[in-house]
Amino acid sequence: MNPRPKAVLVPPLLLVLTLLPLLLMPLGAIFVFAGRAGLPGLIATLSQPDAQFALRFSLLIAFGTAVVNGILGTFAAYVLSKYRFRGREALNIVVNLPVAIPTVVVGTSLLLLWGPIGLLGQLLDPLGIQPMFAPAGVLLAHLFVTFPYMLGAVKPVLDELEMTYEEAAYTIGASRWQTFRHIILPALRGGMLSGLLMTFAHSLGEFGATVMVSGNLRLRTQTAPLFIFAQFEAGNIEAANAVAAVLALISFAIFMLLQWATQRRSGRVS
Amino acid sequence: MSIILTDLTARYGADTVVNCVSLEIADGELFVLLGGSGSGKSTILRMIAGLMPLAAGRVEIDGRDVTNLPPQQRDTGFVFQNYSVFQHMTVAQNVEFGLRIRRVASSDRRRRSTELLDQVGLGGLGARFPDQLSGGQLQRVALARALAYEPTVLLLDEPFSALDVKIRAQLRQSLKEIQRQLGVTTILVTHDQEEAFELADRIAVIERGFLVEVDTPAALYHKPRTEFAATFVGGGNVLVGRMEGGHMRLGSVTLPLPPDAPPHEEDDSVRLLFRPETVYADAKLPSQQQGIHVLGEGSVCDEIFSGSQQRLRLEMRGFEGVRSLAPPPPYGRRIFYIDAVRISDPAAGPVGVELGQRVWVGLSRYHVLDPTGLKVLIACAETPAGQAAAAFGGLVARAAAGPTTLLAVAEPERMTAARDHLEGLRRRWPGGPSLRLTSKVRLGVAATEVLTEAQEGDYELVVLGRQREGLGAVAQQILQRTETPVLLVQETPSQIARILVCTAAGEPGKSDVRFGGRIARRTGAAVKVLHIAHPDAASWQHRRAEQHMAAAQAVLDGLGVEAETQIEEQRTPELVPAIVAEAQAGDYDLLVIGAPTWRHPARLRWTDFATQILRSTARPVLIVPMAT
Amino acid sequence: MSELRHRLAEHWHHWRTVHINWRQLGRILLPMLILGGLLVYAAWPWIPGVREPAVRTVVLYGFSIIGEMMNDAVFPAFQALWEERTGEQVEFVSAFSASGTVTNQMILGVPAQVAILSLELDALRLVEAGVLPAPTWRDLPHGGVVNRTPFIILVRPGNPKAILDFGDLARRGVGVVHPDPLTSGGAQWAVLAEYHSVRMLGGTEAEAFDQLIGIWQNVVAQAASARAVRTQFESGFGDVLITYEQEVLSDRWRGRLSGEIVYPQSTIFSEHIVVVLNRNILPEDRELVDAFVTFLWSETAQRLYVDYGFRSVDEVLNAANPDFGMIPYAFTVDDLGGWEKAKPRIVDGIWRDQVLPSLGLEAAP
Repeated sequence: MNPRPKAVLVPPLLLVLTLLPLLLMPLGAIFVFAGRAGLPGLIATLSQPDAQFALRFSLLIAFGTAVVNGILGTFAAYVLSKYRFRGREALNIVVNLPVAIPTVVVGTSLLLLWGPIGLLGQLLDPLGIQPMFAPAGVLLAHLFVTFPYMLGAVKPVLDELEMTYEEAAYTIGASRWQTFRHIILPALRGGMLSGLLMTFAHSLGEFGATVMVSGNLRLRTQTAPLFIFAQFEAGNIEAANAVAAVLALISFAIFMLLQWATQRRSGRVS
Repeated sequence: MSIILTDLTARYGADTVVNCVSLEIADGELFVLLGGSGSGKSTILRMIAGLMPLAAGRVEIDGRDVTNLPPQQRDTGFVFQNYSVFQHMTVAQNVEFGLRIRRVASSDRRRRSTELLDQVGLGGLGARFPDQLSGGQLQRVALARALAYEPTVLLLDEPFSALDVKIRAQLRQSLKEIQRQLGVTTILVTHDQEEAFELADRIAVIERGFLVEVDTPAALYHKPRTEFAATFVGGGNVLVGRMEGGHMRLGSVTLPLPPDAPPHEEDDSVRLLFRPETVYADAKLPSQQQGIHVLGEGSVCDEIFSGSQQRLRLEMRGFEGVRSLAPPPPYGRRIFYIDAVRISDPAAGPVGVELGQRVWVGLSRYHVLDPTGLKVLIACAETPAGQAAAAFGGLVARAAAGPTTLLAVAEPERMTAARDHLEGLRRRWPGGPSLRLTSKVRLGVAATEVLTEAQEGDYELVVLGRQREGLGAVAQQILQRTETPVLLVQETPSQIARILVCTAAGEPGKSDVRFGGRIARRTGAAVKVLHIAHPDAASWQHRRAEQHMAAAQAVLDGLGVEAETQIEEQRTPELVPAIVAEAQAGDYDLLVIGAPTWRHPARLRWTDFATQILRSTARPVLIVPMAT
Repeated sequence: MSELRHRLAEHWHHWRTVHINWRQLGRILLPMLILGGLLVYAAWPWIPGVREPAVRTVVLYGFSIIGEMMNDAVFPAFQALWEERTGEQVEFVSAFSASGTVTNQMILGVPAQVAILSLELDALRLVEAGVLPAPTWRDLPHGGVVNRTPFIILVRPGNPKAILDFGDLARRGVGVVHPDPLTSGGAQWAVLAEYHSVRMLGGTEAEAFDQLIGIWQNVVAQAASARAVRTQFESGFGDVLITYEQEVLSDRWRGRLSGEIVYPQSTIFSEHIVVVLNRNILPEDRELVDAFVTFLWSETAQRLYVDYGFRSVDEVLNAANPDFGMIPYAFTVDDLGGWEKAKPRIVDGIWRDQVLPSLGLEAAP
């Protein structure tokens, strides 16, 4: 039944060897350089107010982005999957476009739309509303850039989910909302969690659009990646790598946690 | 009545998938919708549950009009073909879902789910998850879930189709028991007639979105009314004969019409159903006492032993004037088959029958299906004449109450347009679309294709549009080759209230009177039979004419048609102006004229006559060839 | 979230009827606790009552390398001063990136009140874009120049190629790593130094041109920014890097310097310009911003610059830093008639139009 034990190990080994220069070694390098100044150096770097702020701000924006896009993306997936309407195909393509656009372009377009000299920004500026160069702008940019990830994770699951499950719930008496909550949402759990994680992780690492719209204000709108870049520009490679390492660790930890939390109930053998 | 469906109609885009279905289902009844795949039976079920919007009609459950209610408020329990058991809930949670929605206290929920799971034979499995269960178990979870909140109606969509045969039989039994115990009104959809027979109190047979027949399993099997039900339900032999002197004539054999048979008219075709187990097949002629109606001799061409039974297929040859509808006759051979079943009897030894053996074939019992009415072909060209043919043909076909075929002929690239044209006609058909209305598009040249269809389709009336010029080649060819009556339409009266039958005296005149009478009976039209007498006619000719008119009056009276006869002296040198004058004076909607057999010497004179008639009037003219 | 609640409710149900399943509960609670903790950490400064918001703010944009000095020394010094003077808390909101980037950001409308640029050309771009009505920085002390740093030569440890001055860079066999003057402000300073140092030492225009072309024939690696070039040099490219003195000194103090400084006889000072953007200053902040701008030329601030390796505009203070090397014939862009003249004459007219083509390269239009 099973191939011989040794043969079983060949493909995984091959994979690890392939990934070593592509993925694993660069990831390792981050940690090596982060630790070059030793643990006290690392702690000192990370306890700088700038670094602290950047990490916190990035986390908040990532949480916010994940929550908003989690809801919006699930809603979009539900509509695109369950409703038939004119222009659905076109909309389907459009909502996936943000992945294909360079993030710097996204940032510039947002500036040209909402910035103080932008199309809409010009109208808002006299009212004292200025979304750009402020946390709102950063959130806006992150929502735009990470929109397709939630959709991409949830929509295939919804497409696969047969209509009869919903219909069964309807005939049983469940309202549309109850059906969504008790039947569809649980079925989407896996897809949603991976979508949330993708969104969160992308938001945590977003640079191109953020650098354009945030104004890169230290202690105001500077996200962790911007802090890293500023540190690099100022020649503080260690500080840059230290924060990068923390970002990687947070992503990894959250991924593990979700993985663990969403594992199928133990002891289930069919 | 627990469930009343009125004129239920459903559409997917342009396709009508359920057509004016009306049903009444009693409290506690186990009702089965039986039909092939794509027949629309599941759609009906979904419409009852509120999962499919109605294009028209009304659904009433337990005295409540639920037509416009969402599925949540209809109080139905639905078991889907794929069961749709919620994967992330345990068995108990699945069953309790409906109760949870209804905010039933958790202890009550628990009690109810335990009780139901015991009832469906899943006691103790409440904590399992669906992926730990077999297909049969899942089906029972779905059933328990649908029953948990005590719905008014239980709807089951092919609940056994995904299971293997053994489990299927077992679950059928338990479903029946549970249904009896709870007394819940149940509608079950299936394509499996055995399943339908075993479970149903009553069965509705559904075909192409139409309700074909509703009855108890036994009645549906033994005394169906339609050919579709007869052949769809159980194996059956259906032969077509003709009414002759109050008896059925099958080739050289005459059979009495059973007392409970639906009324048939003289010369109507009769469809005879007999089940395999009523067929006598033996080397010996049956004795008088056995009460067997002998059909004739046949030979055994196939034999299958299936344990309790021995199935035979008998090949019948040399039966002139008999058509077989089931089992389907072999293509291009003048034979037909009869299926027979004998109970296998080991004690009898190999006496029975063997392949190739010649046997006497007879019937111990038979059943007569409802008469079909006239089988009509309407050539629906997209010209004004074609439109007129379709419109008037519609009136006639509706009156004839028979299967009607709408035919369009198109070049390949116009195929879709032609099909749309026919679909539009079908939609607007008087009395609405029905199962007996079919449309057909043939590729090629109109003249040849209409003729071919008329020849192949065994029609009893062909309706054609016409220009004023005259008879036209197509009509001539049809009259000559198929001897089928042809109705030529140029202008369409809005009704058929008065019919003028122009008859010649003697044998040829009988057909036109009879056919005109049949149409009159069905449309309720008044008939005037007109004979134009030649001024120089001999006295024997006069007498003959008078006799003929008296006979015509008798025939029409027999059909219950309001009729008058008139013999008129021909005053003009030509026959036609007299007829036309009468037609205009009496404002007739339809003119019927006879036509001689094509070999008759009077043919050329007749063609001239028919052409003149057609040229001088725009009214529909029905040409009835003399019966052979 | 609702799913979690739903499952919790189910657990509650199980608890009441059966027993509590701690493992299952842990699966829900632990991740929630950890995620919740992370969220609390992230949101801590924004939780009401945790931190007193500062009363006044100053928004400052600056070029990269002054970031550390401003954050660690200049801002705290002014904050102390202001609090002492008025009792008010001042918070600095600042952003530091490449001088060109900062300029672009200001053109796009960032709410900077004060900006420190490494190149007067960038300030002139602000005028061109209408962000500033006129070269207002010239009205500030020292024509807006707040501090400076000379361009020096960085060689490999032990100076194996025996480089003593710019002239040696034109020698055959020396590999020069140079940022691209078409994109980098620092590179334009360097071109001026490479050319005009000859003139400062008494050479002719032809000799100056020969030195410039000689150096450029030796360029082995080129990158878009001074920072990127530095990374190239550190990772082993070339023998020589022309760079800011301050950068090298700050590396040395951090113990990261892998090379030696060679002070040329004559080189240019890069001068850092303070720009005040009046349109972003509310009338009530005017006094505060003005006080801060004045502070930038105060002796306190100037001393801080010296501490961090920048040279003060007050030569006297520069003596305080023993690491500053001697440059006998230092010059500034003013000696060339200002950027308005130096850029078209030398960078465009000589380097771009004559040196580049002679190397077989054509400047992109």
